Amino acid sequence: MQQQSAIQAEEAEKIPFVGDKEPLSSLAAEYKAGGSPVLLEKIKILSEQYAAIRRTRGDGNCFFRSFMFAYLEHILESQDRAEVDRVRANVEECRRTLQKLGYPEFTFEDFFALFLEQLESVIQGSEASISDEELVKRSRDQSVSDYVVMFFRFVTSGEIRKRSEFFEPFILGLTSASVEQFCKSAVEPMGEESDHVHITALSDALGVPIRVVYLDRSSCDNGSVSVNHHDFTPVAGNNNSGGSEAVNPFITLLYRPGHYDILYPK
Amino acid sequence: MQASRARLFKEYKEVQREKVTDPDIQLVCDDSNIFKWTALIKGPSETPFEGGVFQLAFSVPEQYPLQPPQVRFLTKIFHPNVHFKTGEICLDILKNAWSPAWTLQSVCRAIIALMAHPEPDSPLNCDSGVTSQWQGCTPGLQPCPRRDKFHNLLSP
Repeated sequence: MQQQSAIQAEEAEKIPFVGDKEPLSSLAAEYKAGGSPVLLEKIKILSEQYAAIRRTRGDGNCFFRSFMFAYLEHILESQDRAEVDRVRANVEECRRTLQKLGYPEFTFEDFFALFLEQLESVIQGSEASISDEELVKRSRDQSVSDYVVMFFRFVTSGEIRKRSEFFEPFILGLTSASVEQFCKSAVEPMGEESDHVHITALSDALGVPIRVVYLDRSSCDNGSVSVNHHDFTPVAGNNNSGGSEAVNPFITLLYRPGHYDILYPK
Repeated sequence: MQASRARLFKEYKEVQREKVTDPDIQLVCDDSNIFKWTALIKGPSETPFEGGVFQLAFSVPEQYPLQPPQVRFLTKIFHPNVHFKTGEICLDILKNAWSPAWTLQSVCRAIIALMAHPEPDSPLNCDSGVTSQWQGCTPGLQPCPRRDKFHNLLSP
């Protein structure tokens, strides 16, 4: 068991927390040698809509790490001040949620502060502003990257526990644990992989829609191949989610069983 | 390093405030090194450990609180999840299930809970694990007759 996790850790360290942007052809190259025809077909379909992929390390934090980078990069490129203000308000709401749940402030405040610092720094025009190279550098620096991942874990856990009645049936489908046990054992510890429950909770808590594109070996009965995706749309009325109309997610992640990477549309 | 120091300092202040509210735990920071702590915890009532005071040693890594503190018993204790010689503790939150939501204080509370409710499935002290199976019950939950046995085992 210990040996297994040691091997996994060693493998994971071969790629940085957040990789470079690569053309989508690099994904196809991965499956060239003896790959399944279904996968290659699906990648072909993907390449009609998506231009590039950015890989993240498979250390169990890949969903949160992908979300971190994709979100901050979006703000850096769009300079959307209104979005920053909106998300800040939601972050403050998450802070109050954790306080109400009885988390001592000092256990989470450093993680909140570090995320807000990153959020502020991707907005240009101040002394603290950073470039996209610097964003990549910080995302690879454990002392920043892991703190932001942990911030998301706190936010996710708070949201699940706040709306435990809503999340309970989904959690029961995954494990026999109670909502609180689930948060303690599968959300808050670093390296615990994310599931639908985590993504839904984070998307709802921050009011940020997320598109997840699924790439696996499945195909339809009649042999036709298509690529499915699911949009996580923040529930209306929960926090400041900007209304219930169909939103176009600006964060797209590629899911392959057990792992998330970032996708870039054309 | 800076982050762990700042966090530990906050915990230090919190511990000063909590002293009154939790009489079972006395957590003290080393005078010259904020990464070294010791704790005195009271054995939980209605267990073989009732009436005893147990000393724990904390060694906090530089990546704290992303990584858990290392904790071991300095006081000899006969418990299925504690290594009898080294005092090493088998407790999930000190390993894979650790998260920064835990504090040194709440770790002490978790260790007290482990003393009262051992996990026979992850023994570090096999004799104690066997003892509990042989007796067909969870150690620590039956007070008097068992207690003598524990005492015998403790003083060979």
